[in-house]
Amino acid sequence: MNISLNENLAKKKRRFFKVDTQQKPLYTDLKSSKSSCVLELKDVTKSFGGLVAVGSASLAFSKGKITGLIGPNGAGKTTVFNLITGFLKPDSGIICFNGYTINGRPPWQIAQLGIGRLFQDVRVFDKLTALENVLLAKKEQPGENPLVSLLRRKSALDAEEKNMDEAKKWLKFVELEEKEDSLAENLSYGQQKLLAIARLLAGGFEVLLLDEPTAGINPQMVKSVLDVIRRLAQEGKTVVVIEHNMSVIMEISDWVYFMDEGKVVTFGLPKEILGDPEVRKAYLGI
Amino acid sequence: MICIYLILSLSLNLLVGYTGLLSLCHAAFYGIGAYASTLLITKFGLNFFLALPAGVGITMILSLLVAYPSLRLKGDYFILTAFGFQIIVFSVLYNWVGLTRGPYGIPGIPKPSLLGFEFDSLPLFLLLSAVFALLVFFVLYRISASPFGRVLKAIREDELVASALGKNVANFKIWAFMIAGGIAAIAGSLYAGYVTYIDPTSFTLDESIFILAIILVGGSGNIRGPIVGTIFMIILPEALRFLGIPDTIAPNVRQMIYGALLVFLMFFRAQGIAGEYKFE
Ligand SMILES: Nc1ncnc2c1ncn2[C@@H]1O[C@H](COP(=O)(O)OP(=O)(O)OP(=O)(O)O)[C@@H](O)[C@H]1O
Ligand SMILES: [Mg+2]
Repeated sequence: MNISLNENLAKKKRRFFKVDTQQKPLYTDLKSSKSSCVLELKDVTKSFGGLVAVGSASLAFSKGKITGLIGPNGAGKTTVFNLITGFLKPDSGIICFNGYTINGRPPWQIAQLGIGRLFQDVRVFDKLTALENVLLAKKEQPGENPLVSLLRRKSALDAEEKNMDEAKKWLKFVELEEKEDSLAENLSYGQQKLLAIARLLAGGFEVLLLDEPTAGINPQMVKSVLDVIRRLAQEGKTVVVIEHNMSVIMEISDWVYFMDEGKVVTFGLPKEILGDPEVRKAYLGI
Repeated sequence: MICIYLILSLSLNLLVGYTGLLSLCHAAFYGIGAYASTLLITKFGLNFFLALPAGVGITMILSLLVAYPSLRLKGDYFILTAFGFQIIVFSVLYNWVGLTRGPYGIPGIPKPSLLGFEFDSLPLFLLLSAVFALLVFFVLYRISASPFGRVLKAIREDELVASALGKNVANFKIWAFMIAGGIAAIAGSLYAGYVTYIDPTSFTLDESIFILAIILVGGSGNIRGPIVGTIFMIILPEALRFLGIPDTIAPNVRQMIYGALLVFLMFFRAQGIAGEYKFE
């Protein structure tokens, strides 16, 4: 009994391994080896009036991998992120996270479950300092209960101190430590983007949805942001990157989805996708 | 009176300046607090110092009537909801004659007393209300300088991003309403104990606008603004009296000055005299 169980496990592991390295983790395959797929969309549709922003799209994202999401302007990439994070509700289809169906849940619950995002249009809290921006990302702060704060419970003060150190560490990480007391609105666009990245990292999310993380920051910083993204994947996070910069996609992604007009057109290794004549024609105009 | 307005403006600031909810019903909370504690005193013979917290509790519960709609409604629609709540509360106070005596008001409210000691002179009452104002200041200072206050500000800046960071925005808004409403109720109880007579005309929309004006003039989003605003708006009329303007036209002149001041500030310093945050 025990032996057969072990055998089974070993078999599963092997299959799992295979999927990760050789086979494409299409969502049908992933059903049989669920553990590598953290986040999955099945036949998800979203329209705005007559416009189908996402049409019956199926995507799966694996743990520890960086998945690129590319496509021309208006392809529906950001809408996919909005659907995953609960900002938009799908008209039909299922969004699955760690075995839970999450469509219909409010954004804050989805965030607490462990899905964080970087917004295409940055969206830092303008009138708050850089440090406050990062501090906000920490989940379950005892001091967020007004009664606890009023009574100055020691646990809350200690937690705040710890969070403060951690937030400073993240600011330092994106080289913004000198700006910790500046209001976010007084930072340059590139700095705001880095601040948003620091805020996201401070949140400790398991899934990171990055909408154009390298747009608008200087080449040197791009390199370190890409390093971070890679390291996050190595640590076992699930990373999804929307990018218009193809060299970035080539460099960092393990898998790439190509979307156009709300549909997933192709899926594969970066070099397959970028070599695909259809993709080159539709996207790069070559 | 300056302490009462300090309490009102400091508490409204939690909604307006921190959470970004332009709430036009603060006089309703103020009125509910005043009536609730007064009725407990006159009908049940409760002591002021017990009636006051009871009034706070009742107002906190009733504040949910505005808090819940505010979760679904945004911007102008929220302003209208608060406006509606203000009108409803006023008409209940005015028309529920059996309970509130309607337009006749409630006279002869006993002065606050504690263990046989009566706060019956003006300086004593000033002392009492100053103690309460300080207490309120202390409470709001701690709350707003905490992680809780930080989340409120984040909600004001960008509600959706706050929720994308896992903050349950609805919960925080409800807290903000309950705290602001409860504290306004303290001002209500103090007012009733001070004037010893209340009627619905003290808790009208005009009054809500006046409290909001204090914040807009003084500035919101930090704890200094409402203090500066209160001193400015309450002391200004006293100063006018010294200018020797005849009593008959003084109220009109005052109104004009308030109006001109607001317009002037909105043009040249929209965040108020000492504020951090301005409405856009
Ligand atoms: N809230 C909305 N209301 C109406 N239409 C929308 C909404 N959000 C997106 N759309 C439309 O849906 C389509 C897909 O938009 P989306 O933002 O997902 O594209 P994208 O792939 O992210 O493009 P880009 O590369 O320019 O960021 C577009 O035509 C857009 O105009
Ligand atoms: Mg986009």
